[in-house]
Amino acid sequence: MPPGPWAAPTSTLTQRPWPMDEETYMDLDLYLDPWAAQDHPALPWSSVFSPVGPYGAYIPNPSNPGTAFNSYPVEAKEKSGSLSPVDLSFLTDELTQENKDQNVIRSKHEPEENPKTQSQQSQLSPSGQGVGPSLNCSGSSNSQSHLHPDDANAVQCSPEKPISNSLPLASITPMTPMTPVSECCGIVPELQNIVCTINLACKLDLREIALRAKNTEYNPQRFSAVIMRIREPRTTALIFSSGKIVCTGAKSEEQSRLAARKFARVVQKLGFPARFLDFKIHNMVGSCDVGFPIRLEGLVLAHQQFCSYEPELFPGLIYRMVKPRVVVLIFVSGKVVLAGAKKRSEIYEAFENIYSILKVFKKG
Amino acid sequence: MPGGGRCPDCDSTELVEDSHYSQSQLVCSDCGCVVTEGVLTTTFSDEGNLREVTYSRSTGENEQVSRSQQRGLRRVRDICRVLQLPSTFEDTAVAYYQQAYRHSGMRAARLQKKEVLVGCCVLITCRQHNWPLTMGTICTLLYADLDVFSGTYMQIVKLLGLDVPSLCLAELVKTYCSSFKLFQASPSVPAKYVEEKEKLLSRTLQLVELADETWLVTGRHPLPVITAASFLAWQSLQPSHRLRCSLAQFCKLANIDLPHPASSRLQELLGVLLRMAEQLAWLQVLKLDKRSVVKYIGDLLQHRHTLVRTAFRDGTAEMETQEKERQGQGEEVENSSLGLSQGKRPASPALLLPPCMLKPPKRICSTPAISTVTGDENISDSEIEQYLRTPQEVRDFQRAQAAGQAATSVPNPP
Repeated sequence: MPPGPWAAPTSTLTQRPWPMDEETYMDLDLYLDPWAAQDHPALPWSSVFSPVGPYGAYIPNPSNPGTAFNSYPVEAKEKSGSLSPVDLSFLTDELTQENKDQNVIRSKHEPEENPKTQSQQSQLSPSGQGVGPSLNCSGSSNSQSHLHPDDANAVQCSPEKPISNSLPLASITPMTPMTPVSECCGIVPELQNIVCTINLACKLDLREIALRAKNTEYNPQRFSAVIMRIREPRTTALIFSSGKIVCTGAKSEEQSRLAARKFARVVQKLGFPARFLDFKIHNMVGSCDVGFPIRLEGLVLAHQQFCSYEPELFPGLIYRMVKPRVVVLIFVSGKVVLAGAKKRSEIYEAFENIYSILKVFKKG
Repeated sequence: MPGGGRCPDCDSTELVEDSHYSQSQLVCSDCGCVVTEGVLTTTFSDEGNLREVTYSRSTGENEQVSRSQQRGLRRVRDICRVLQLPSTFEDTAVAYYQQAYRHSGMRAARLQKKEVLVGCCVLITCRQHNWPLTMGTICTLLYADLDVFSGTYMQIVKLLGLDVPSLCLAELVKTYCSSFKLFQASPSVPAKYVEEKEKLLSRTLQLVELADETWLVTGRHPLPVITAASFLAWQSLQPSHRLRCSLAQFCKLANIDLPHPASSRLQELLGVLLRMAEQLAWLQVLKLDKRSVVKYIGDLLQHRHTLVRTAFRDGTAEMETQEKERQGQGEEVENSSLGLSQGKRPASPALLLPPCMLKPPKRICSTPAISTVTGDENISDSEIEQYLRTPQEVRDFQRAQAAGQAATSVPNPP
C-alpha cells in the first residue's frame, strides 16, 4: 500500500488546536448550516468548506443534512482524545475531505456495533469487509488511526455509502488489491508478544549493571547476559556486553519501542553512554479463536506439504505458510496461534489465509 | 616393496610386484619364484591362501565412509532386525541415514543426536510403509529422551523434505492388542479372563473408531485411547466376571504398561457410551451409570452410527450460533438456554465437540485494556530511578554477596 501524502502531519495533530465539547457542538451546528459558516468569521476553515458545503459531496440526502451527522455530536463526546473534523483545518482540501469521509463512515458504523471499546478492534471488526487488515494502523490511538493512509479502505468504504458523488475521492486514491469480502470474518488476531532488538552502541559492564540495578538477574556461568525486567510495559530484556539488547513481552509495536527506550534509559542512568539505535522488530506472535472444532487429521491429508501433525509429540498441527512466511499452530478446539511475522499485516494476512482453509474443514 | 611377504622357496623378503601379460604377480627377485598370481584383490596379506574376501570389505566403499557413519549404519540394521522388520525396510532406512549424513549439520552433531538419528530413520521408514511403530517404542529401544528424539525427528523431516504419513491407527490397534498376554490361560491369567484374540480385536477397533468420531482422538496421544478401548472391549465380552477388574489390574494381566492418560480416556469413552445409551428405549429405563453401561457395549456398538447421530448435536453449528450471539450481545451465552430450547427431554443432546471445548474455560479471557501508547512518550526520571539501587543498597548488597561467598568457601572443620 503506498504511503499516503498525509503521513507526515500526524505529529502535529496530537496537539489539538481546537478545544472539545461545548465549542465543538457550537461549531458543528454552525457548519451544518452552510450560510452560517460564511457569516462566522471565527471559523478558519469556512473558506475550505464554503464552495462545497459543510461536508461537501458526502451528504447523502441534501434535504436532510442532519442524518449523516446525527451521531456526530454524540461521537465527538465519546471519543476522548479523538479529533473532530474541526481540527483538520490546516490540511488541504483533499485531505480534510478524505478524513471526514473516514470519520463519517466510522461514526455510521459505531452505533451499529458494540460501542464498548474505542480500540481499533472495534473499528476493524464490525463491517466484516476487510476493513481491519487494510487499515494497517500500527497505533492503537484513535488520533493516529484517523490519519493513517488507507487508500483502499476509503475506496472500499465509499461504495457502501448511498452516494454517487464520492468519485472525487476514488480518483485520488489508487486501487490496491484487497481480499474479497466473502473470505473475511469478524475475527481479528490479538498480538501476544513482540520481540525486538536495539543497539546501544557502547560496551557495557554487565557485573556493574547487575549490581546497581534492582530488576536484574545475572548468572555468567549459565548465560552471558543480564536479564532485566520492567513493570510498565511488562517486558523482559536480555542485555549483552556488546551493547545490544533483545526486548520481549510487549503486546504492540509501540509498547515494544517504549519498553526498549526504557531499558536504554536505565542503562544510561547507570552511567553508560547509551544511545538508541537500530530498533527492529524480529518476531510477532498473535492468537485467536475461529470458534469451531477442526479435524486435524483431515487437514494434514489435504495440505501435506505445509502441515506437520504429530499427536505423539504435540497436540497441535504446525502449518508453515509460505506467503506470508508465518508459522501457524492449529488446535482441535479451533484456537490458532500465528508466529514468525515481522509486521502486523503479515499476521492478519496469514490469518485470512488460514481461515479460508479451515472453513473447508468445518463440519455441517 | 610389499610388506610382510617372504618367498616360500628362498625365504627372502625381496618380493616385487610385476605383471606378466597384464596379470599382476608377486615375484621373488632372488630366485624368481612366483609367490602369488591371478588374484584380483590383494587387500589382505593372507590372500596368499586365496581366501575369499567379501565384497563390502574389498571394494573400499567403507574407506570413503567415516567410522561414525559406519557405526550408525550398523545400528540402523541392528534396530531393524530387533524390531523384526522386513528386509526392504532395512535398505530404505540405511538410505535415509546416508542421505541425512550428507548434511553438515548431522555430520557435526553429537553422538547422542546421531544415535537418535538412527531411530528417526527407522521410524520414517516404518511410517511410510504403514508399519505401526510408535515413538515411545523407539525411544525405549534407543534409551533416548523423547524431547531429544522429537527435536531431531522434526529437523530431519524438514531437512530431507520428506512426506511422512500419520500413524495408522487400525494397524496400531492390531499390533498393540496382539501383544496382550490374555489369549491363553496361565498361572497369572485365570480362565475367566482369557479372551479370544479376534473378538477382542474387532470390538476394540469399533470402540476406537467411535472415539475417533466423537473427537476423543484428535490432538491426543493414540496409545492411551487404544488401552482404554481394549479394556472396555475385554470387559464387555464377559461383564459378569470382569466388571470387578480395574484398568490397572487389566494392564498387569495383559503384561503392558498403563499409560497415564488412559484413565481419563476411559472416562470420556464411557461418557460417550452413556449418551448413546440414552437414545435406546430399552436402556433408558434402566438408568445406566458408568459401570452398568459396560454390559450393553455390544448393543451400542452394533447401532453406533445411528446412535451417534441422534445422541449428539452438531457441535460446529452450535459454536457458530454461540459465537454470533456473543458478538451481538456482548455477553456469554449460557448453556442452560440451549438446554431449555430442546423442550421435554431433561438431558438435551450433548454437543459433539472435543472435550477441551466442552470444559469451562480455566481463566476468563479478559479483553486487554486499550493502550494508547505511541512509543515516543516521555520517560520520567522517577520511573527509571525505581529500578536503580541507592548507593547504600549497593553497599549492603555487596556485603551480603561477600558474606554469602565466604560462607560457601569456608572449609569444613576437621
